Amino acid sequence: MYDLLIAPFVEFGFMQRALAGSLLLALGACPVGVFLMLRRMSLTGDAMAHAILPGAAAGFLLYGLQIVPMTIGGLVAGIIVALGAGAVSRFTVQREDASMAAFYLISLALGVLIVSLRGSSVDLMQVLFGTVLALNDDALTLIALISGVTLLTLAVFWRALVAECLDPLFLRSVSRLGTPVHFIFLGLVVLNLVGGFQALGTLLSVGLMMLPAAAARFWTARVEPMCMLAFAFGAVSCVAGLLISYHGSLPSGPAIILSAGTIYAASIFFGTRGIFNTKLRHHRHRTA
Amino acid sequence: MPEACLTFEDLTLGYNSHPTVHHLNGTIAAGSLTAVVGANGSGKSTLMKGIVGVLKPMSGQCRVADGKRIAYLPQQSELDRSFPARVVDLVSLGLWPRRGLLGRYTRDDREAVSHALMAVGLEGFEKRAIDTLSGGQLQRALFARVLVQDADLILLDEPFNAVDAKTIGDLIALIKRWHGESRTVMVVAHDLELVRANFPDTLLLARRPVAWGRTADTLRAENLLRARRFDEAWHDDAPWCAPDDGHEHAHAHDHDGHHHHEHGEIRDRPDHESGPRPA
Amino acid sequence: MHRLIALASVLTVITLTSTAAISAQPLKVVASFSIIGDFAKNVGGDRIELTTLVGPDGDAHVYEPSPADAVTMSKADVVLVNGLQYEGFLQRLVDASATKASIVELTNGIDPLDMAVGHEHEGNGAAVNHHQGGLDPHAFQSVANAKVYVGNIAGAFCAADAAGCDVYKANAERYTAELGAAEAYIEASVEAIPADQRTIITSHDAFGYFENAYGLTFLAPEGISTEAEASAADVAALIRQVREEKASAIFVENITNPRLIEQIAAETGVTVGGTLYSDALSKAGGPAPTYIDMMKNNIGTIRGAILGS
Repeated sequence: MYDLLIAPFVEFGFMQRALAGSLLLALGACPVGVFLMLRRMSLTGDAMAHAILPGAAAGFLLYGLQIVPMTIGGLVAGIIVALGAGAVSRFTVQREDASMAAFYLISLALGVLIVSLRGSSVDLMQVLFGTVLALNDDALTLIALISGVTLLTLAVFWRALVAECLDPLFLRSVSRLGTPVHFIFLGLVVLNLVGGFQALGTLLSVGLMMLPAAAARFWTARVEPMCMLAFAFGAVSCVAGLLISYHGSLPSGPAIILSAGTIYAASIFFGTRGIFNTKLRHHRHRTA
Repeated sequence: MPEACLTFEDLTLGYNSHPTVHHLNGTIAAGSLTAVVGANGSGKSTLMKGIVGVLKPMSGQCRVADGKRIAYLPQQSELDRSFPARVVDLVSLGLWPRRGLLGRYTRDDREAVSHALMAVGLEGFEKRAIDTLSGGQLQRALFARVLVQDADLILLDEPFNAVDAKTIGDLIALIKRWHGESRTVMVVAHDLELVRANFPDTLLLARRPVAWGRTADTLRAENLLRARRFDEAWHDDAPWCAPDDGHEHAHAHDHDGHHHHEHGEIRDRPDHESGPRPA
Repeated sequence: MHRLIALASVLTVITLTSTAAISAQPLKVVASFSIIGDFAKNVGGDRIELTTLVGPDGDAHVYEPSPADAVTMSKADVVLVNGLQYEGFLQRLVDASATKASIVELTNGIDPLDMAVGHEHEGNGAAVNHHQGGLDPHAFQSVANAKVYVGNIAGAFCAADAAGCDVYKANAERYTAELGAAEAYIEASVEAIPADQRTIITSHDAFGYFENAYGLTFLAPEGISTEAEASAADVAALIRQVREEKASAIFVENITNPRLIEQIAAETGVTVGGTLYSDALSKAGGPAPTYIDMMKNNIGTIRGAILGS
């Protein structure tokens, strides 16, 4: 048992770093994912993965493989895309999905253009996105900082964020925070995704944001427990995925995401609000 | 003479440079209970949005007296019923004006919420998820939220839609209670009998105000006929409404001493906004 | 009608003339990537017009050809490729351009190795893992094989341009001699490294032929293609192996994720040595602008890192 679960993390520093990095990422990204899902923006993460390309590439071309300029570049590109798309949907008739698609496609094309200036596209893609097995001190610090900022911001704006999701028109009638809180939230999404891309790679950061959130939806009808449950699912996925990667000789990112995917699939069927409980089980009903 | 809770000054509201509420002047007295009636598209909901500030005026302004808190129940709520929230979470949103973003909910606040739920007959529904409520129950919950908001000016946009007779009765009782507590209440309604029976004052809208004052005076047959003749459509070739025109209106609407009762005297004038109509 | 016929015949004459003119032009040669381009330049000299598809520092495994490449391809007389499925993009490009040129696989005649799987090089390299099923295409990492490449290139040029055959053969002979000198230099360099320190790590195991020819051991955390992603088991096994077998140096390659290498270096305490060039030459000003420079640079970097540390 010890050999199976504990020993890999004791013997190897890179396993400890991978565990710490992915858990820290889950801490910030899972609650953000819950709100993304509740706002019907679940695919935004994927779009952002493409949208940050020009910024990260520009950072790399100017400063080389340094996590700070690349992250800042990615953040700038991501924020321009997220805020631009958000602003278009807020102030015009266009919905957010359409404006997001438009902005990220433009950004992606620009990114490919910048990357092509360097000749070959492949090497840069490898360099732009990290892997959970190769977390250095800079990357760990970055992730810790991001989850700290995320949790703090969520705590401060929690009530406004819930109100903005639940009844935006109501929030507008009692407060001017509606639009700012939407943009603050988009900023958090970008921050978590970009930080995750630099440190852990695209698949892991998008997957760790959305899958636990989607799974948690099947278990509870309240936001607070949903966020905590999402983090718990995320944490379990990280540990399980790293151990599977270690013992089964499988790539770590996909192993973590597939662990989360397994939890999601199980939740679809067996969650308290899943298929089994709501559709299939022959319910006894009460008189009132 | 009661002080004004709400003052319209040459207020024009609309979309894409087409007015939906045109050059509205007048006041809503504090503590009054006013029904807003008119055909579909006559500008009732737009007026509500203009008062609450969700829609910016195209010209003129709408002034709310200092320190008056507004509670607004929209006709088409943007409420996301699939959001994981309980009835008590929804009603607690009404604490926002008191507690804002960061203030802690006190025991009094929680009591206010449960009192409000009791008042609308939703006792025991606290823990229910909002996606399990019926239409009438949800409307009651939203009324409870308005109760919790403890506002001075309450705007209800068609609150009786798709609600059964008993619920309407309960909601009317609440509205009367608010009236009794000297809150200012404006309610958009379609049922004229209901309005005649329960609302002292009425504003009859047909883009511009057709009549405004005591309900019995406002809802006279000739006023209703005039309101019915109003042309709902926008005309792209309608002439621009000149600023001078607006001023002339302001004078035409003018009335001494801000007695809102006198709005009933609005005369029939050449309808400058309809212009030449397409054949 | 008469005019049309006249016009058509004039056009025919022009076409014929221009076809005839081509043979007087330099031989149009397309090389799939930079190392082959360097060979072709040495053999063809100024009798050929050379185009290299994947330039310096580019990765031919996953290169995306452009329409311009297809145009170049369609006009080529000779197309030089590595073969052994090294150029994944090649077949599509050949189909798309409908080129009439002869496609020459330069690995013809070498003795191919099975795809090396990371760290299973115990004994004489016979511990071969067949689950990937392929042959290692990086044959040019042994100078002996490079000589075969050069011979194949000379043969292909002679077939396409008989008039220049003598020149090509003379060039090939001269260049083969240069390769021989480089090989001697490499062997001498390896000799200078103590036998128990000849184990090193690099992020890309393209050096199967190199280790086979010169008696070094290369360990890699990633599979043979740059597309493969490392697993925790791979990294853990490698760290263990570095600890147990006392690998002497770690090299960051020019085209793979350097973060992984840095992580392993940090965890094992082995220093990161420098850049090895495996699949591509560097740009003109870099340390490995030609094949011979590349091979000398690689062995020099390896020796420096091991003996310096």
